[in-house]
Amino acid sequence: MAVTPTQFAKTTAQSANWDVAKRRVLAAYREWIRAAPEIQTMYSIPFPVSVIRTRMREEFERHRFVNKIPVVDVLLMQNNAEYQETMNFWKQTTHVMSYFPEENFRGHERLPKTFMQGFLEGRN
Amino acid sequence: MASLRTASAAKLLRTATTSSARPALSSMTAQQRRFKSDTVVEVNKEFARAMPSGGESSVPAVRRPNDNGPDYAAHIDKATSTFTPVPKQVQDGSEDVNVLPAAVLSGAPMELQARTVRIFQPAKPATQSGNWGSHHWRMDWDVLAKGHRWENPLMGWQSSGDMMQGTHMNFKTKEDAVAFAEKQGYEYFVQEPQARKFTPKAYANNFLYTPNKLKHIRTK
Repeated sequence: MAVTPTQFAKTTAQSANWDVAKRRVLAAYREWIRAAPEIQTMYSIPFPVSVIRTRMREEFERHRFVNKIPVVDVLLMQNNAEYQETMNFWKQTTHVMSYFPEENFRGHERLPKTFMQGFLEGRN
Repeated sequence: MASLRTASAAKLLRTATTSSARPALSSMTAQQRRFKSDTVVEVNKEFARAMPSGGESSVPAVRRPNDNGPDYAAHIDKATSTFTPVPKQVQDGSEDVNVLPAAVLSGAPMELQARTVRIFQPAKPATQSGNWGSHHWRMDWDVLAKGHRWENPLMGWQSSGDMMQGTHMNFKTKEDAVAFAEKQGYEYFVQEPQARKFTPKAYANNFLYTPNKLKHIRTK
């Protein structure tokens, strides 16, 4: 846990080109991966570190195909806000646990997996 | 065209160039036909123009094989409920629209991208009121079929968990509305307004000379 909250504050920056953007994304990714054990102990998450890391990776993979640098910049900014809130313990355990869909209502079954399953459930 | 919007038409094109096994134009289900946009002519033209050239090569090709059907593997978020409709496509920032992909950045629930909005021009009221109410273009959300509405057990009032119920947005032009929908990643369809047919008539025209046939056959 951080001593001073400004420890994780970062100046918002624009990436000059894709190389810079890629480097910044990788740096952010490494930060998260390194922080996984600490997040686990801080928020008493009942999952092994590997599960937490997988979930972090998923969040990054969601935006894998972003093809505009300004969008990447904004995503990085949002990412750092999230990181700062997490590491400064500005979140609570529920906020972190809400990243894990099994813990929410119906877990992975929230959307039907196939057409037939949705049809039999009366959903569209 | 089975697609609801130009972005998905572009995707359709991409898959068509790679797999070319997709009967794009003719086969659509009844539900998709119901949501067919009235203004797909230019989309069709784009499609026809870009087909022989082989499509764009810079965009990452084939990621979703099923572009116009429901995407059952869509990423769900915290706001996804049991009765959330399955989205056709969730914006991921790789769209080749010129606007900023707002759905990637805004944090709006994925459910909004799973619902289809209607873009239309409200009709003039049949009364003798003015036509100010129909000068703009409006986007509205259809009610959700099931699950989001219930009857209040105490009073019998109708309750709703539908966050977009009764919401509409007004735009100056149709293009504004379409651009907004594309930016937000909404499925949309456009309903063109019915033009009023007006034929000037004069009784005296019945008696004008015409060389061929008489306008009226008189019996006396």
